[in-house]
Amino acid sequence: MKRFRRQFFLGMFALITATVGALWLHVKFSQALPDYAFLTGWILFAAMLGLTFFNARKKLPFLSLGRAETWLQIHIYLGFFTVALFLIHLNFRGPHGWFEVTLAWLFALVSASGVVGLVFSRTLPRRLAARGGEAIFEKIPVLRHALKTEAENLALGADAKSPVIAEFYTKRLAAFFAGPKNLWLHFVESRRPLNALAAELDDLRRFANDAEREKIAKLATLVRQKDGLDYHRSLQLALKLWLFVHIPLTYGLLVFTALHVVLVFGFSGGAR
Amino acid sequence: MSEQLPSPDFDTQNYARPNQNWICGHACEGNACRQGPDAKGRCRVTAECKPILQINPGETKGRWRCTRPGGECESGPLPDGSCCRPVAKCSPVPTLRVWRGRATLVVIAASCAMLLILLGNPPWRNQFISPGEISRTHSGAAFAALAATNHLNQNCGACHVAGNSGPHGMVKAAWRAEPGFFAFHKFLAAPAGEVTAIDESCEQCHVAHNFHHPNAAAISCSFCHAEHQGKMMAATTDANCNFCHGDTAKMAAAHVGNNFTPVIHHFADDHPQFRFITEHLHDPDTLKFNHALHLTGATIPNLPGGAKLDCAFCHSPDVAGAFMKPVNFEDNCRVCHSLQFDPATPQLALPHGSAEYVSAFLRSLPKQYADLATKENQTDENGFVQQKLAALRAQFGSGEELERRVFFSTATLGPETQIGTLSGGTRALFPGCALCHEVKNSSSGSPEITKPVMPERWLAQAKFNHAKHASIACAQCHDAVHSRDTADILLPAKETCATCHSPRGGVVDTCATCHTFHNALVVAR
Repeated sequence: MKRFRRQFFLGMFALITATVGALWLHVKFSQALPDYAFLTGWILFAAMLGLTFFNARKKLPFLSLGRAETWLQIHIYLGFFTVALFLIHLNFRGPHGWFEVTLAWLFALVSASGVVGLVFSRTLPRRLAARGGEAIFEKIPVLRHALKTEAENLALGADAKSPVIAEFYTKRLAAFFAGPKNLWLHFVESRRPLNALAAELDDLRRFANDAEREKIAKLATLVRQKDGLDYHRSLQLALKLWLFVHIPLTYGLLVFTALHVVLVFGFSGGAR
Repeated sequence: MSEQLPSPDFDTQNYARPNQNWICGHACEGNACRQGPDAKGRCRVTAECKPILQINPGETKGRWRCTRPGGECESGPLPDGSCCRPVAKCSPVPTLRVWRGRATLVVIAASCAMLLILLGNPPWRNQFISPGEISRTHSGAAFAALAATNHLNQNCGACHVAGNSGPHGMVKAAWRAEPGFFAFHKFLAAPAGEVTAIDESCEQCHVAHNFHHPNAAAISCSFCHAEHQGKMMAATTDANCNFCHGDTAKMAAAHVGNNFTPVIHHFADDHPQFRFITEHLHDPDTLKFNHALHLTGATIPNLPGGAKLDCAFCHSPDVAGAFMKPVNFEDNCRVCHSLQFDPATPQLALPHGSAEYVSAFLRSLPKQYADLATKENQTDENGFVQQKLAALRAQFGSGEELERRVFFSTATLGPETQIGTLSGGTRALFPGCALCHEVKNSSSGSPEITKPVMPERWLAQAKFNHAKHASIACAQCHDAVHSRDTADILLPAKETCATCHSPRGGVVDTCATCHTFHNALVVAR
C-alpha cells in the first residue's frame, strides 16, 4: 500500500509538472512559432505510439524492459498527459471537418475507454475480493460444469428419491446452472436473483422431510457457489471487455493519425 | 457483500494457459484434454494412447504395447500400431484474446477501407478531408467562374497541390513539403508570416502581393487570412497588424522619407494623430464657403418649407449610407442662390456650371426675353424685350458691365441686393459668381471660373461608415459652426474618435475597423 501511494504521488507529480510545463510552453510559443502545430502534433503522435507500445511490451515478456507494473503506471500517467497534449494540439478549440471530427472522436473514445478501464481495474478487483472466492476466468466454465453436475446428481440422481426437489430443480435450477446468468445485475451489485432463489429454497424446506432438507441445504450452497461464479464472470468479463473498445480503437486511431500526418503535410503551405 | 463464498475446487495441476489463443472444446464440459489445441486452433487429440513398439531380444517384429495413462486397455493396440480407442475430436474455442485480436483487425481493415473509399472518390474526398467550410470568397459560382477563367482547379486543387490528386498524390505532396516530415529544426526556426508555396496559388488570382507600403516585408497571405474557418474568412486581428506595426525594427526597415509611421499597438494609445492635423493641411478648394455663416448667420433665410438650414440639407448619405453624397449646386444651393440677375424678371436665371454658357446667355438676352414673352403670351413681344433691356441698361449701363458684374462682383450691398426670390428682408443675394467661385480673366479676355474640387473622402486609407454613427450629432465630430473658411478640414481629431473607439469607450478599436491592409482591391487576371 505504501509503495502504491508512493507511486501514485510520484506519478501525479510527474503528470502535473509535465502538464503545467506543456501549458507554459504553449502560451509562450504557440503564437511565436508558425509551425507550432507540427511540433505539438509530432509530440502527441510520439506519446500515442509510446502508449501503444505498452501493449507490445506485454507481448514481449522475454525482453528485460522493466516491470510490467511500472509500464502500466507510465501508460496511465502518459495517457492523461496525452489528453492534455491533444487539447494543446487543438489549441483548445473544437475540430473542424469530417476527418478531424472523426479523428477527435476516436481519440476521445480511446481515452474514455482507458479511463473506464482504469476505474474498472481499480474497483472491480476490490469487489471480487470482498465477495470472496477465487476463479480464473478461463476456468469458470469448468467450475460451472462441475457445479451443474453436482447439483444434477443431488436433485435428479438415482438416489435422489425426491420428486419435489427434482421438480423444483427442473423448473427453477436447471436453467440457472446451465450457463452464466444475471451478468448485468451482478455488475451493478444486485443480489435480487440470488435472494429470490434462496427464498424459494426456503419455501421448499417447509414441505420437505429431513433427508430432503439436507439436500436442499446442499443445493442452496451450490446455488450460492454458482451465483458467486456468475459474479466473478460478470466482473472479470468487464475487466476484459473494455479492452475490446480500447485496443481496436487505438489501432483505428493510429491509422487515422497516419493519414492526418500525410494530410497536414500534403496540404500545408509548403506542400509542392 | 461480506459473505465468503466457498471457492470451487479446481485442478491446480491442470494449468489453464490463459495466454494461449485456443482452448479445448470440451473445457466447458469440465473435461478438457491435457494436450489442448495447437496454435492454429486444431484439436490435437488422436487416441487414448500412443502405442510403442517393443522388440524383445531374439524377436524381429516385436509387438505394440499400450501406453494409456492409468493402465493398459483390454484390447491393446491394433496390428498397425495405432490405439484401438480413438478419442472424439473437439472444436477448439478461441479465447477472448483471439476475439480481441480479430476485433482489432476488423477495425484496422474497416478504417483503411473507409479511408480508401473516401479518398478514392474526389467529391467525397474533398468533403471528407476539408478541415472546415471554405469562405464564400473562395467557393460558390463566382469563384468557380474565376477559377475557370484562370484555368484553375475549382476544388481543393485551386489552392492545394495535393488537392488535384488522390492518395498517391497526397503522399507525394506531403513528402515534398517544406518543411518536411522530420525537419524539427525548421519547425523551431521558421519565421512567422514567411511566404510559402501556397501563396503561389493565391497569386493565380490575386496579382502579386499588393501591400500598402512598397517596403513592407512580404508576408504569406494565410498569415492574416485564415481559410477553412466558415463562410466568412477569419477577421484580421490586431496581432496580424502588430506583427509589423508593433515591431520597431520592421518599421524602421520600412522607413521611407517622411512617411515613417511610428510603432502602433492600440488606436487609443500610440496611434499617431491624423496627418491633416499634424501637418496643418488645408482644403485647397477654391470655392468660398462659410459653414458658420450658413449654420448660424442671422441673414440666412429659412428653407421653403420653413425649416432652418442645417447640415442634413446639404449633406445627405449615399445609398449605402457609408458616405455623404457630393454637394451640388442644383440640389443644395439654388434654392437660395437662384442666380437671378434681373430683379424685375425673377423668372429668368443664369445657367450654372460653365462660364461660357453664362457669357453666351448674357449675350443672347434679347432672345431670352423674347422666349420669355412667348412663354408668357405677351401681346407686344418686341416692346416687352425692349422694356427689359432698357431697364437693365439703366441699372448696369452696358452689356459688358452687366457681364462684368455677373462674373466678378462680390459686393453684397447695392443694387444687387434686390436680386432674389426668397422671403422678406432676408432675400438671397446674387452679387456675382465671384462671391463663391474663383473667377479669373483668361488670356482670351473672357472670364474663367476655377472648377471647385470637393474631395469625397479625406482619409483615403481609412474606412468610415456614417450610417454606423447616425446616433451621434454631426457637430460632435465636425466643428462646422466655427468654421468660416473653406480651407478648414472639418474632420475630428484622433482623440474624438478614441472617445468611443477605445477600451474605455467600449466600441471596437481594432486596426481593421478603419484600415484595409491592401492598397487597392484585388485584381483578377
